[in-house]
Formats: sequence, C-alpha cells, structure tokens
Amino acid sequence: MVQVNTTKLFLRFKFVKRGSLQYISHLDLVRTMHKVIVRAKLPLWYTEGFNPKPKMIFAAPLSIGTESECEYMDLRMSEYIEPAEAMARINANMTDEMQVIEAYYPDSKFTDLKWMSYRITVGDVNTSDDLADRCNELLLEEQVEVQKKNSDQMINIRPLISSAVAKRVENEIVIDAVLSADPSAFLNPEYVVKYLRDKGGLLSSPDLTSEYYEVKRLNAYFADMTEFR
Amino acid sequence: MQNKNISSVLKSVSKPGRYIGGEFNSIIKNKDEVKCRFAFCFPDTYEIGMSNLGVRILYDALNKDSDVWCERVYAPWTDMKEKMEQYSIPLSAVESGDSLDCFDLVAFSLQYEMCYTTTLAMLKLAGFPIWAKDRAEDCPIIVGGGPCVYNSEPVAEFFDLINIGEGEEVLLEICHLYNKMKADGTYTRAAFLREASHIDGVYIPSLYEVSYNDDGTIKEYKPLYDDVPTKIKKRIIEDMDKASYPEKLVMPYIETVHDRIVLEVYRGCIRGCRFCQAGMVYRPIREKSVETLCKQAKCLYDNSGYDEISLISLSISDYSELPRLTDSLLEWTDASHVSLSLPSLRIDSFSEELMAKVSSVRTGGITFAPEAGTQRLRDVINKNVSEEDLMRSVGIAFRGGKSNVKLYFMNGLPTETDEDIEGISALAKKVVDQYYAMPKPQRPKGLGVTVSVSCFVPKPFTPFQWEKQDTYEELMRKQALLKSCITDRRIKYAYHDAKVSFIEAVLARGDRRLAPAIAYLADKGQMFDAWDEFFNYDLWIEAFEKCGVDPAFYTSRGFGLDEVLPWDIIDIGVTKSFLLRERNKAYEGKTTPSCAEQCSGCGANKLGGKNRWCK
Ligand code: SF4
Repeated sequence: MVQVNTTKLFLRFKFVKRGSLQYISHLDLVRTMHKVIVRAKLPLWYTEGFNPKPKMIFAAPLSIGTESECEYMDLRMSEYIEPAEAMARINANMTDEMQVIEAYYPDSKFTDLKWMSYRITVGDVNTSDDLADRCNELLLEEQVEVQKKNSDQMINIRPLISSAVAKRVENEIVIDAVLSADPSAFLNPEYVVKYLRDKGGLLSSPDLTSEYYEVKRLNAYFADMTEFR
Repeated sequence: MQNKNISSVLKSVSKPGRYIGGEFNSIIKNKDEVKCRFAFCFPDTYEIGMSNLGVRILYDALNKDSDVWCERVYAPWTDMKEKMEQYSIPLSAVESGDSLDCFDLVAFSLQYEMCYTTTLAMLKLAGFPIWAKDRAEDCPIIVGGGPCVYNSEPVAEFFDLINIGEGEEVLLEICHLYNKMKADGTYTRAAFLREASHIDGVYIPSLYEVSYNDDGTIKEYKPLYDDVPTKIKKRIIEDMDKASYPEKLVMPYIETVHDRIVLEVYRGCIRGCRFCQAGMVYRPIREKSVETLCKQAKCLYDNSGYDEISLISLSISDYSELPRLTDSLLEWTDASHVSLSLPSLRIDSFSEELMAKVSSVRTGGITFAPEAGTQRLRDVINKNVSEEDLMRSVGIAFRGGKSNVKLYFMNGLPTETDEDIEGISALAKKVVDQYYAMPKPQRPKGLGVTVSVSCFVPKPFTPFQWEKQDTYEELMRKQALLKSCITDRRIKYAYHDAKVSFIEAVLARGDRRLAPAIAYLADKGQMFDAWDEFFNYDLWIEAFEKCGVDPAFYTSRGFGLDEVLPWDIIDIGVTKSFLLRERNKAYEGKTTPSCAEQCSGCGANKLGGKNRWCK
C-alpha cells in the first residue's frame, strides 16, 4: 500500500488526449477538466477565500496540434478516494478522445519530469528513403538551429534533443524523438518539424491538403531515463 | 472527423477547436436509423452560437425524437472560410462532419439582422443556391427562424419555409410531415411546402405574391392559393412547466461567450416599453414554477459542472416568485461553489437582499437601463422608472461594494429634444454625486460611471413601428451634443455607431425589395456584419444604389398609419389597434400599467398560454 500524505493529498491522473482534441489549447483543457472533475463528484479540496477553486496541476502543457498518450494532472483531494474509483468517475464524464489510463497517489513531482518522447508522422508528397536519410543527417548536425516563435532570434535546440531518428514507413516519414521536458528548457516538437521543413525540404508543398503531419506525445521520463511515475 | 489532409488546414487557422465537435453531451445517432437529418445553423461563430439558449433548447427538443437527428453548424471564421473556398471544403455539421447536402432540413437561427450576410455566405459554402426559387428538387429544405422573422421579408425569398414563433413543437411537426410525405411517396418540394403552410406558425414565402402602390408602399400580400392562410399566426408554448428543456448541455471545449448554465425563468414580459420588440412579440408572459426551475437547475449542474447559473428572462425581477426561487437555489448552490447571476434586473426592483444573494461570489460592475434622460421621455417610452428609483438602486450598489455603474440610454427616441439629451448627462452626474455624498470610509474604491448610448431603431410590432428614425446626421449631432454635456472626467461616454443602427433599421423594417441588395453583399464575400471589423457601411450603400433601394424610405420617412406594413402578414397576437393606442398614449406622455397591475387588452391572450395575468 502506498504511503499517503493526508496533509496535501494529491491524486495523479495519467490521461490521453487523442484525435480532434489535439486542437484544444492547454488553457481550454484546464477549463474543460475543471468541469469534468465537478461532474465526477470527486472529493475535491477547494482554495479558501472569496472565489474557491479546486487545485489542479498539469505537467508539461501540450501545444495545439499535438496528440498525447501521456498527459498528467495532479488533483488535490479533501479526503482519500480509491484511485480506481476516481478514474472510473472521471472517465464516465469525458469523451473517448480523452480518458484517464492510470490513477495513483504519486511520490514524484512534475519538476522531476525531464524528458518526453514523441512520434512525428509526416505524410510528405516526396516520401522516400532518401528523404528519411536527409532528415537523419540534419538531426545529427551539431547546430540544430531554428527561429524562435514570434522573434528573429535563432536558437540551437541540439542540447534539448536526446535522440531523434527518422525512417520511412510506407508512404510516411516517421520520426521518433526524445526531447527535453524540463520546465526551464522545454522543447516543443513543432520546432523539430519546423527545422526539417526549413532545412530539409520536408512538407514543402504549397497545397495544404496534399501533405500532413501528426505529432503524438508517447511517454515521460525522469533525468535517468527511467519511466516517469 | 475529416480525413488526415484536413488536419493541415486545421493547423493553419485560428482557434481550430471551433471546428472539431466531439463535445461531451453532444448527440451522435446512427444516420441510417433516423428518418430526418436536421442541420441547425447558427450564422455566427461557434463561440456565439454555443451560447445561444434557443439553439440549446431546440437541439435538445429535436433530438428527443428518435426519428430525427439534429446537428449543429456554425459559420467558419474568415481564415477558415478562405481555406474552405481554396480547397473546396464544403460547410459541414460538427457532429458527423457531413456536408449539408446530406441533410433533409437545414435551418438558420436569425438572431439579429446583421447576420443576414453570414447566412447567405453559409448557404454558398454549403453549395446551395441562395434564392429559394433556384433550388433543385433534391436540395434540402432551407428553414428560417428566430427573433428576426417577425419581419423576415428582406430575407424571405432566401428561405423555403419560415418558422414564426417558438419552435419546440412546430419544428417537430414539420419534421413529422416531411417524414410522412417521404414515406408515403407524396413528397415533392412543392407539395411539402404547400402542406406545411397549413401548420400554425409556418410561413412559406413563395406562396404569396406582393404588389406595390405607385408611391412605393405595399399594396397587398396575396396568397397564391385559397388554402394558404392570409396571415401566419405565431406559435407559442402554452405551458412552460411542460415545455421541453434540456437536461444536458453540450459542453464546449473552447471558451464561449456565455459559458454557464442558463435557466429560462419565463417567457414574455409584463412591461410594455414602447420601443421594445421582445416585450411585444413574446407575449403573453408564461412563467415556469419554482419547482420546475429548481429541478432543471440541479439537473443541469449535475450534467455540466458549470459554476454559474444565470437566471434569464426579459426582466428577471418581475418573476412573481423570485425570492422563493433564489432561496431554494441558494440551499445548495453556495455549498457547491456555484454562483447565481441575474442579468436583467430592473432599477425599481433592485434591493439589498437581492444583491446579497447574487453577489456572493461575483465582483464587478452593475448595469441599469433608464433608457432616457428625463422623466417626460421615460413616460413617453413607458419605461416606468423614476429618478428616485435609480438613485436608490445606485446607493444600494455603492453600499454593497460595487463601484462600477453602467447606465444604458437610447438616442433618437420619438419626441426627443435636446433637453432630454442634456438630461442624460445630468442623471449621470447625480450618480457621481450620490457616490460622493457617502461618507468616505463607506465608499467602494474606484468609482466608474459609464454612460452607454445606442441609437433608436423603430422596430416592427412595437407602438413605435410607424416612427421615423433620426437621420444619420441628426444622430451624430445628438451624440456630439451629449459629449459636450459630459464634462465630468469620472463619467465615461460610450456610443454605438449610428451607421450600424441605420442599416439595422433598413433591414428590420424592410420588405422583399431589399433581398437583391443583401444578395449583392453576399456575392462580394461579405459576412460577419455584426462584427465591427467586418461591418462595411460603404458596401451596404453601394448595394442599395445598385439595387435601386432608397434606404431613407424605410428609416427617416416613417410609415403611414394606414400603410400596409411588410410584417402585417404575421399575427403575433398583440393587435395593431393596441399598438396604435399605445402610440397615441406615448404622444400624450401617458404611461400604461404593467400586466401585473392591470391587463391592457393587448390581444395576446387569444394565443392561450398558461399565466396568471391575461384576462
Ligand atoms: S392580454 Fe393583458 S395581461 Fe395578457 S399580455 Fe396582453 S396586456 Fe398583458
């Protein structure tokens, strides 16, 4: 039995965010979750004061356009509840595209979460083994420079990439990458796509509907690369 | 959802969450098992459409029928519209993702005149001809409804069928007729529309011929066949306790305008403000019981998780059992961290007690609507509110810690003089003085008084329906005059664009001859006129010129008392003679008591409806 600290009783939920829910921003996810946990009638702990709110903490916010098999929310409870019971109640109040897959009272903090793995799937009109090779060469360069969002500044994201390998699978280029999720040095997988697009001619078609790419977060790790829990 | 390649489009537009559907509590049916697919279109953004109570009610009512599947459709934002045109992506419903040609009936909720161009833009994106007469046999039936259809004439020829009045029952009757005629093989577009015209509350524009006099006024509306009614009677729900009301709300993922539980407390209004269309067209007043309301509130809370319940109706404090209702709700809302809001409080009924109940969680400002600056003009418009009422209410608000007061007024009301305009600034000044009359320690910090002024639009089915609208120049002069009167820096002055009000008046009061002008704008790609950044006055004027429409004919001309009005074909219950009586009283500066004090015999009682006032 896990040791439960009842002074600040946080219950952790690992959930998926799939399909069309990739288009929901983090802020909207938080608002949505707020209503889910109220509907689920969990024994929520509320802040004191004028406008009481439940305490919800999320790990590594996901950007719009990324699906996930690995989202985390810590929720403060006012009293002990069986994790399986809480999970069942939450799942009954969410759609198929967002479901809790694990619930437990955690020992770790979100600040211990250092790396996350992603799968980037690209449906490029020029998909070939050569294109995959070209991506691999680019990802192995010492300087992996991309332009920062909303600024002219170029940054080298190489230190934030633990590994990144591209391969061709039928008509798609599949890139598996492990990227920094440290709150002080978080790397959005979109930057990897952007880099390959700018440098390697990936997704070069001007016709938006002829190509596509999907990004999916797969897992989370501690600093020593063991699975986060 | 759509195929993979659409994902690149969704990633390239703003707020893609608008287009994905899949919300908790949204309704998915098997399309092979339903007989009638109904697309409910809202000609504005997802965020606005999702907040609309009428849509919530009708979506639920239609889907309660297992033969019908009602889905929602919203207008794409301009960036998405561009992409849809570029890549030939048709407009689709959020539930199934199916394009609109898969539907049997496609209905539009017309909430404000400024949504007309958006409506046509949506018809175009769906690939339908915008004129009803051009539609082929297999095109879905295009239906109109909502508050604008009390004078739908400017857009009547774009619709196959128009629903006049409350839709919960009649929309289902229409679906049933459709299903029946499809099943027994008698369905043709023409046969269906002819048959539907016999249903109370159904208006088939194509079954009437309109003729005009030499001076441009309307000569007559003539039904093409004897069995088609000469007037269309508005539909109402008789018993609000038995009326269909949703138990679940579709929960949007993205933030919408009114992201909360909205509880409709009653329909209609006991007041008779003479400029107010809603106050007339929703008569007679029909209340829900406290028991019904409490049940609905609790159920919606359990199924939504919202932390705010908004009690709405035209004037919430007129609800005959408001104290019992708020007390019953407060029995559980506070403990559940749910707040109550009452957005339509009248000045004369504002009380300390009421404020304590509703402000438990909420801070922020408070709004009052005296509408006119002097007692004389308030009597003319029958806004039975005095300066003392306002001062008393403002005092309560200040003492209750509210320091931001917003005051709503209207410019250009019938008989208005410069004195009335000066009265607006004087009234605002008195509110400021009231604040400073309080001992300093008791004053809430940061006084803010905002005077917000809109322009009067003489609306159909009001005692002022025959009135002229001030010209644009005159409205501008009045706005400038008021501006010069307000010298106190603590008073903020906000005013509506008189150009918008002018176009609104043309569309609200227009007849069928306006349709080509609206189509002209749609052909130019115009939409979202309700949004300041897209409203294009010059284009409207250009459209009127190109289509031979003189906008002044509908605005500053005023309508003759014996003239056939474009909306005379509709019977809202309230009689023309009552409206005329009220108009005459306005000119005499005489007020009319509310229905709660005395029935004035407006005629709405003949519609039926369970209520305690109508004689
Ligand atoms: S019939 Fe009388 S009580 Fe009923 S709405 Fe009309 S005026 Fe009011």
